[in-house]
Amino acid sequence: MLNRDESRHLVDRVFQMSKSPEMSVNLRWQQECNTRFANNQITTAGFTSDLQLDISVTLGHKRGSTSTTETSDDGLGRAVRHAEELAALTPEDPEYVVPLGPQNYPEILAFDEATAAARCEQLLPAVRSSIEAATREKLNASGFFDVTTVAAAIANKRGLFGYTQRTWADYSVTARTEDGTGSGWADSQSPRLGEVDGESVSSTAVRKALESQKPRRLEPGKYTVILEPAALDEMLMYMAWGMDARAAEEGRSFLSKRGGGTLLGEKVFGENVTLRSDPFDPRVPGFPWSGELPAQKTTWVEHGVVKTMRRDRYWAEKTHTQPVPFPSNIIMEGGSSTLEELIASTPRGLLITHFWYIRFLQPDTVQLTGLTRDGLFLIENGKIQYPVNNFRFNQSVVEMLKVVDGMTAPMPVNNNRLPAIRVRDFNMSSLSDAI
Amino acid sequence: MAITRRKFLESCGVAVVGAAGMPSALGAAIRGGNNGAALAGPRGGGEGGTPDPVFRPLTDAALETAHSQGAGYADIRIARYRDQSAFLRTQAEPGGSKIQHVPEVSDRESFGFGVRVLVNGTWGFAAGNKVERDEVARITREAVNVAKTNSALMRQPVELAPVSAAVDLYRTPFAKDPFGVSLAEKVDFLRAINDEVMKVPKVFMAMAYISCRFEHKWFASTEGSYIEQYLQVVDPGYGATAVDTAQRKTRDRGFQIGAVTGGWEYLEAAKMLESARRVGEECVERLGAPPVKPGKKDLVLLPSHLCLTIHESLGHSTELDRALGYEANFAGTSFLTPDKLGKFRVGSDLVNVVGDRILPQGLSTCGYDDDGVKTLRFDIIKNGIFVDYQTIRDQAHLIGEKASHACCYADSYASIPFQRIPNVWLKPGEKPVSLDDLIAGVEEGVLIDGTGSWSIDQQRYNFQFGGDAFWEIKAGKKGQMIDRVAYQSRTPDFWQACDAIADQRFWQNFGLTGDGKGQPEQTNSMSHGSVPARFRQINVLLTE
Repeated sequence: MLNRDESRHLVDRVFQMSKSPEMSVNLRWQQECNTRFANNQITTAGFTSDLQLDISVTLGHKRGSTSTTETSDDGLGRAVRHAEELAALTPEDPEYVVPLGPQNYPEILAFDEATAAARCEQLLPAVRSSIEAATREKLNASGFFDVTTVAAAIANKRGLFGYTQRTWADYSVTARTEDGTGSGWADSQSPRLGEVDGESVSSTAVRKALESQKPRRLEPGKYTVILEPAALDEMLMYMAWGMDARAAEEGRSFLSKRGGGTLLGEKVFGENVTLRSDPFDPRVPGFPWSGELPAQKTTWVEHGVVKTMRRDRYWAEKTHTQPVPFPSNIIMEGGSSTLEELIASTPRGLLITHFWYIRFLQPDTVQLTGLTRDGLFLIENGKIQYPVNNFRFNQSVVEMLKVVDGMTAPMPVNNNRLPAIRVRDFNMSSLSDAI
Repeated sequence: MAITRRKFLESCGVAVVGAAGMPSALGAAIRGGNNGAALAGPRGGGEGGTPDPVFRPLTDAALETAHSQGAGYADIRIARYRDQSAFLRTQAEPGGSKIQHVPEVSDRESFGFGVRVLVNGTWGFAAGNKVERDEVARITREAVNVAKTNSALMRQPVELAPVSAAVDLYRTPFAKDPFGVSLAEKVDFLRAINDEVMKVPKVFMAMAYISCRFEHKWFASTEGSYIEQYLQVVDPGYGATAVDTAQRKTRDRGFQIGAVTGGWEYLEAAKMLESARRVGEECVERLGAPPVKPGKKDLVLLPSHLCLTIHESLGHSTELDRALGYEANFAGTSFLTPDKLGKFRVGSDLVNVVGDRILPQGLSTCGYDDDGVKTLRFDIIKNGIFVDYQTIRDQAHLIGEKASHACCYADSYASIPFQRIPNVWLKPGEKPVSLDDLIAGVEEGVLIDGTGSWSIDQQRYNFQFGGDAFWEIKAGKKGQMIDRVAYQSRTPDFWQACDAIADQRFWQNFGLTGDGKGQPEQTNSMSHGSVPARFRQINVLLTE
């Protein structure tokens, strides 16, 4: 691993190679170990170690950017000279902002020694146990176990310097019945390998495969649905990451107001919708910086009211406001129900495990399309009755978040923390034969 | 599946301004292709030659280390990638009226190697970025360790289809080196385009890009191969954005062009600047276009649009690794299971589709795949019947085939090679049929150009597509532009509803980038050529 001193040394070597007073470097060292399996046996697996340096040279308001993976004097020198040449050739950037000086980047606990030391030997027990659990039930298991260690640094010639180390472990399993009529999926992620619960991932995938087999036919239409946290995550990011002040103020966003202006300060969502970012949350730690800006806690939506939009440094200067960095994670405040209680209080609805292939259908309204996958169940009279065929949905996230009527506590999912939610009138637009 | 930040930016025309990675973000929205290469003809030049022996000592180190550690097979790829991108966004100065150009230029390189070994019938892989003899040997031992450890769970040993040893050089044919054209000249070209687009009143913003990439790689294997390849891609594009603040409505329109393997000459022939005014005008027209009346309608789809429908419904469903369940935990499986091979009717008799890595200008075109197998062309759908899969060396025997179809690719030296979609294209009709003939046969329908929203289920049945521009067809005539169109169908129903396709004069090739598959996820690029085609009574939706 590249430590803080080595990173600083590498950055200084780059800076010394150019007389240009305005330079910046982003450094990323990454080591990844992963094991992939399908049809109850390991298919491919790998161990990789890589390093990338992004170098920018600025001449006046002209900027050239290069990257290299070569840290020899020759390799670095070529990348630096090339950046200088590009800067000389490039036209002036009318949206240029002066780089920041030294910053106090927060310390974020996102590194775990045991995770960084893991190799495929440490991944094998979980994989073995998933394959065995599937085989016992005559199921077919596929999955992926991935452990990544990153050391990253940011620096410029004005004295700005930041360094961080991070680890991340992700284990997911799909179990399918032999006849292909049932499929179940589960996933567990954490900065700490020891917190990835392989047993729970296996047992959930196996249970959902068994429970989802031989689905009955249900017609498309509007349904009350319960989205498990993974399903909500897959939809929500299309909206949460798109809360950009410039787009809204230029009239190009769902947060633009008809006729001009924005919906900042207005109630766009239901009273029970609150969205925040917290880079310091140890379960879903953020990156210490975004661009050159230090990561910060942010409230995007509070009790349905839009409180903040992200704003890059150029747009902040132009509009005489403070910049707001890109979300480091999204945390949605939940409710007090358990998933079981949400199901028990649903007269009729669908339980959605997660989705597949979500894309914008109409960005103006954040209308998305996508499909349910790996377990869709009909709830009647507070009980899961039977599995049903998968659906394609065409549904606006904004409209969905106006009609949330039940939530669990938020849980870590894909480096966000989100609850399971129940919403009304979710538009299942067509039937899918896929399982 | 969760979306990554990069995927999000690619999928989101609204959010790209002010974000990093703008060229790819715009590209996804306006990517298409241009009048393509000749269909017939041999491998497009560039064949044969002597590979540079410069990396022999390193490849020998990997293969010898692997052999001495007990590997039954090993290969190494040493690869250098260069990705030069010029991007220009043009709009009025915020709060003012002066037009300003915001540039973003970069020129990025990476260099490293990846080693793949088979020990005890199990794959192992490792990669590094220090291209030095000792490091190659160390990384090779890591790959062997991966294979040995994981062979504890081996059930069926990996079997490789036979391959001939090759010592060869392949270069993408091109007339003018795109890296020889200065970035200043590229930016000037983009500025001229954007200036022209911005002359159209009510255009809010123009975005244009030129990206040039190469992949220079050496492959060596214990089969005795040592292959050098230099694959070069040019990827231009531009589009306009118009905004109606009163209605809170934003629309884009892109020039329909895609990436190709080739040189600067492709760009010179593409008439990008000449079309800029029209693109701007069609953007504004789209903004004010009336909504479609939903219902069952006939569709006439242009090659700029069909490329993505072919990709999603026929490209992905005929990948053997999907059909066998290798992608079950991520990209999904396929409705085209091996029992359907040679029997199942995917489309009407008019539908003939080939897999092809020798197609001139194809994005997936090369001399050898990342298994070291010489590239070729093969039938996938013949007269509507599904006849073959895309395969690589470790799969062919699983369906009783004796040779690989050379579909192996890794998107980086640090990525594991696996089966990817080659160029997959629709053959033109044999009877003389023009685009006007197709339209003349439609009472009520929609003509669609370019790609918009796209989504398909994990077994490749249910798909739904938007587009970049839509015109109504009434009583056999192309009418006014309409908007808010998407259509939804099911792969075999859709292709069986194809009742007419245009002839060879109308064939166009469109390169797509950003195809995602695998864990860790890798991207892939390929071309999907086709002719305008007509589909009867497809379900057309009105978007919000």
